[in-house]
Amino acid sequence: MFPPSLIALLPSFASLAAGQLADCAPMRLNDLGHLLQVMGTFLGLSLFSLGGGNTLLNEYHHISVEQFCWLTPSQFADLYALAEAAPGPSSMLVGLLGMGAGWPEGPGWALLSAYGAELAILLPSTLLMVVACLRWNRLRDSPWRIAFERGLGPITLGILFAVGLKILHTADTNTPGLVVSLLVCVLMLRTRISPLWFMAAAGVLGGLGVINR
Amino acid sequence: MTDPQPRSPLSPASPSGAPASTGSTPPTLRQLFVGMLQVALSAFGGGLSAWSQRIVVEERRWMSNEEFLTGLTVARLFPGPNQINMAVYVGAFFHGLRGALVALAGMLLVPFTLLMALGLVYFSLHALPAIDRVLAGVVAAAAGMALSMGFKILGQYRGDPIALLLAAGTLVAMEGFRVRLVPLVLVAGPLAMAWYWPRGGTTRLPKP
Repeated sequence: MFPPSLIALLPSFASLAAGQLADCAPMRLNDLGHLLQVMGTFLGLSLFSLGGGNTLLNEYHHISVEQFCWLTPSQFADLYALAEAAPGPSSMLVGLLGMGAGWPEGPGWALLSAYGAELAILLPSTLLMVVACLRWNRLRDSPWRIAFERGLGPITLGILFAVGLKILHTADTNTPGLVVSLLVCVLMLRTRISPLWFMAAAGVLGGLGVINR
Repeated sequence: MTDPQPRSPLSPASPSGAPASTGSTPPTLRQLFVGMLQVALSAFGGGLSAWSQRIVVEERRWMSNEEFLTGLTVARLFPGPNQINMAVYVGAFFHGLRGALVALAGMLLVPFTLLMALGLVYFSLHALPAIDRVLAGVVAAAAGMALSMGFKILGQYRGDPIALLLAAGTLVAMEGFRVRLVPLVLVAGPLAMAWYWPRGGTTRLPKP
């Protein structure tokens, strides 16, 4: 049984082999079909969110910007920043992506898409987590678990760097903006200042026209 | 000796075989919901994990610190956002699937509703030039935050060249060859697991 996202991959691979990027394939379905496709996409991704939700960000970008054209690149960057700034887990970004997917059909469908998408991205991993919790005492010393934990760590590391580069690219900022990005990166690592301050200060700079895209 | 508390599948058994004490009476579903709601509201300025520990372990005394830390281990190991998984762990600890869903609902209700409102405002107004200018700046900061994620965990792999090689290979595949996540994980995952398969009967993890 292949999740929808795997099947959706096949045309991308084909055109990749041909040396081109996959074109936008916006959904020309009725409203309900649109909703189901949104949910199906995120349902298939849920179990691949290793090392926290951030590893899926590149995939989210590909799906929402390149494959289904729900959002423009700068909208994706905006929503990422919004999800990071807002209180609560940043994985709620998926709700915003769903909202973007449904927006052309009106705010009502946008909300429905949003809740559907968030439910879809959380449900499989939650079910697996419940099973894991109940069986942890048996799983704890299993070699599978040790190998998984040790092996997926470096892969997560590579993915997170790729994600960082992708977000930077999507931010599409000018030179002062790039300086701000690098500065924020260093400050995030060296200090414990809340990221909200950085975003607020950068927002001011943006409003003043110092940073633009 | 009778045990008045229901035994959770996760509570560590003490050497004598009696269930370990985990503090006050375990929460009902309603208390789970309210407790996680409290965590979400307290963490409005940030620090969700810290608040989660403070409220679940110290204030409400639902579980011991050791049990909470076990939860962190499981949450990090399995797919899903860490904070979400922690809420699921706390809920499942007492009431299985229902508990997990209730705890999740408690944690997400307020933040998600708020984010939905913000989202509607965004989609309605984001094209306004003033708002777009401010967002251009915010996004630069957010990009810096995203960049820092990799660096944050880089340190733990310093002495492990194979790990760094794996990471570098993953990065090149995603950035240079635009390999999608799912095929990458399905190919690289088993290879990495094979390399790190525990040998000689040891099950101790290297210190991070």
